[in-house]
Amino acid sequence: MTLPAETERKLLERVTVLANDRVTEGVGLLVLESPRVARVVRPGQFVHLRISTGTDFVLRRPFSIHRVEEDRLHILYQVLGTGTRALAEKRRGEEMDLIGPLGHGWHIPDGVAHALLVAGGLGAAPMGMLAEELSAAGVAVTVAQGAPCADRLVGRGVFDATARRVETATDDGSEGQRGFVTALVESLLVSDRPDIVYVCGPEPMARIVTAQAAAASVPCQVSLERLMACGIGACLSCVVTTRDGQRRACVDGPVFDAESVVWDTSEIPPKH
Amino acid sequence: MDSSKGINVDMRVRIGALELRNPVMTASGTFASGKEYADFVDLSRLGAVVTKGVSMKPWAGNASPRIAETASGMLNSIGLQNPGVEAFCAKDLPWLATQDVPVIVNVSGHSLAEYVAVAERLDSESAVDALEVNISCPNVDEGGMAFGTDCTSAADVTRAVRAVTSKTLIVKLSPNVTDVTEIARAVEAEGADAVSLINTLLGMAIDTDTWKPKLARSVGGLSGPAIKPVAVRMVWQVASAVSIPVVGMGGIMNAEDAVEFMLAGATAVAVGTANFVDPGATMRVVDGLEQYCRLRGLDRVSAMTGAVSR
Repeated sequence: MTLPAETERKLLERVTVLANDRVTEGVGLLVLESPRVARVVRPGQFVHLRISTGTDFVLRRPFSIHRVEEDRLHILYQVLGTGTRALAEKRRGEEMDLIGPLGHGWHIPDGVAHALLVAGGLGAAPMGMLAEELSAAGVAVTVAQGAPCADRLVGRGVFDATARRVETATDDGSEGQRGFVTALVESLLVSDRPDIVYVCGPEPMARIVTAQAAAASVPCQVSLERLMACGIGACLSCVVTTRDGQRRACVDGPVFDAESVVWDTSEIPPKH
Repeated sequence: MDSSKGINVDMRVRIGALELRNPVMTASGTFASGKEYADFVDLSRLGAVVTKGVSMKPWAGNASPRIAETASGMLNSIGLQNPGVEAFCAKDLPWLATQDVPVIVNVSGHSLAEYVAVAERLDSESAVDALEVNISCPNVDEGGMAFGTDCTSAADVTRAVRAVTSKTLIVKLSPNVTDVTEIARAVEAEGADAVSLINTLLGMAIDTDTWKPKLARSVGGLSGPAIKPVAVRMVWQVASAVSIPVVGMGGIMNAEDAVEFMLAGATAVAVGTANFVDPGATMRVVDGLEQYCRLRGLDRVSAMTGAVSR
C-alpha cells in the first residue's frame, strides 16, 4: 500500500489536553498538544475528536481549529450536548485521540486585498486562523462580529491583533451596535468595499450575508456545520444541498462557495 | 505477529464459493467503497469489503438531519444515497479491484425488477466477488425492508436474483420481524449461499426542546453497541435454523464482540458503526481475533463458529 504524503493524509493522532478553560457562559477554549496535525492544518479545517472511549456515547465530535500556536491546537467550543458537556470536564494532562486535519477550509484567491470576516456567535471559531493568515499575507481584514451580549463576543484576541477594523453588534446592545450583525455587513459592504466575504454562524444569518454579498457582487465563502458520524466521507450524514448536487460537509466542505448552497430552512442546528 | 510465541492460526473462512483470508468484513454503508478509509486501513488485510448499497439509478437519499446519537449507538436515516450502479462500476470498482481484497457489493432496490437489474449488471464485473442483497433497509419508502419482513417477498427477491447471478449470493436480513428464522429458511430454500444479519433496528428519538423527531424522516435504523445482544440472539437463532453460513453483525466494536458472534454461530462478522468511531477498527478486530485464538490454543478461527455451549 502506498501512502500519500503526510500533508495530504488524514492522521489519527493521540493528543494531550494542555488547557481547557471556560471563556464565557457555555463556551470553552480547549488547547491540545497535537504536533502532527498542528503542522499541516489549514484555516477552516477541522478535527474529529474522540471525547469518550466508553459506550455511553460513541461518536466523535467535529471541531474547527480556531488557532494554531506552535504544536498546539486551539479549539473554541460551545457546550450544547452530551459530547461537549463531557469535553468541558476534560482536565490538563488527559489524553484523547483525534482524526485530522479534515475537510476543505477557507480559500484565499489570488489578488485579494481586503477581506470581510463575518462571525455570528461561535462562528468566530474557524476564523481566527483565517484572520491571521490573511493579515500575514498583507490582506486588510475587517471583522463584523455578532453575539447575544458583549461577553459572548469570543475570539476577540486574535481579531484585535490582526484586523484593521473590528465592528460588533449585540442583541442587547451591551457592546457595539444593538441588533444583528447583518446590519453591520450591509454598511461595511459599502464603506469598506471588501473584495471577498467569509462567513460563519447560525444558518439564517449566513444565508442573509450570502444574499448581501451576492447583491454587492462580492464573492462569499461560508463554513457550515452538520451532524457528522465518520468525518471522512463515508457515512453521508452531513450532506449539504448545493447547485452542483449533494456534497459532504466533512470532505467537500465545511467551507463552501456560499452562492452554491441551496439553503434548507428546516435544518435543525446540531447539538454536539 | 511473532509466531514463535504460539501456534499458527488458520484465519480463513468460507462463504459460498468465496474463501476469505479472515472472517472480518465491513458492514454495508459504513465503509463507502473503501477509499475513504485507505489512510487508516490496509484493505488487503480485510476478509472482504462490503460496499455501500448500490441501486440501478442514482438515489438522493433522505432529508437532513440524517443521524441522531442515542445511548451506546446511533440512529441513521441516510436512505441509501448512491450514484447508481453505472457510476459505481466506473468510479469505485476499478479502485477496489486494485486492492487485493474480495469485493462484496450490497445490492439495493425499490422493486424486484431493480434488484434483478443491478445483480445482472454486476454479474459481468469480474472485480465483484459476491452480492449482498439488501432486503432490510428501514430507511426507504418503497422496497428495502418491505421485502425482508415477509417470507414470500424475501423468497421472490432471492429466487429472481439467484436466476441472474453466478456469484456468491448473500441475503441481508432485517431484525424488524417476529421470527427471523422463517425468513432465513425462505431465502436458503431459494438458493442464497449465506445470510447476513442484523441490519439496523427501526427506532426513533425526539428532541424535547423542539418536540420534533431528531431525524428528518422521523424514524431510522439503530446501530452500535446498544443492539449487540439482539444481534447475537438472532445470529444464534438463525445459525441453528439454516445450514448456510451466517455473517454476524450488530454493534461489534472489538475482537471480543466478534468472538461472541462467532460462538453464536457466525462464520464471518462485519464491523459497522465502529468504523465511524475508530476508522482503523477493522484492523484491531482482525489482529485481536488472531491473538484471541492463539491465547485459547485454537489452530483455526472457524473452530469458534457455533461453539457456544447450551
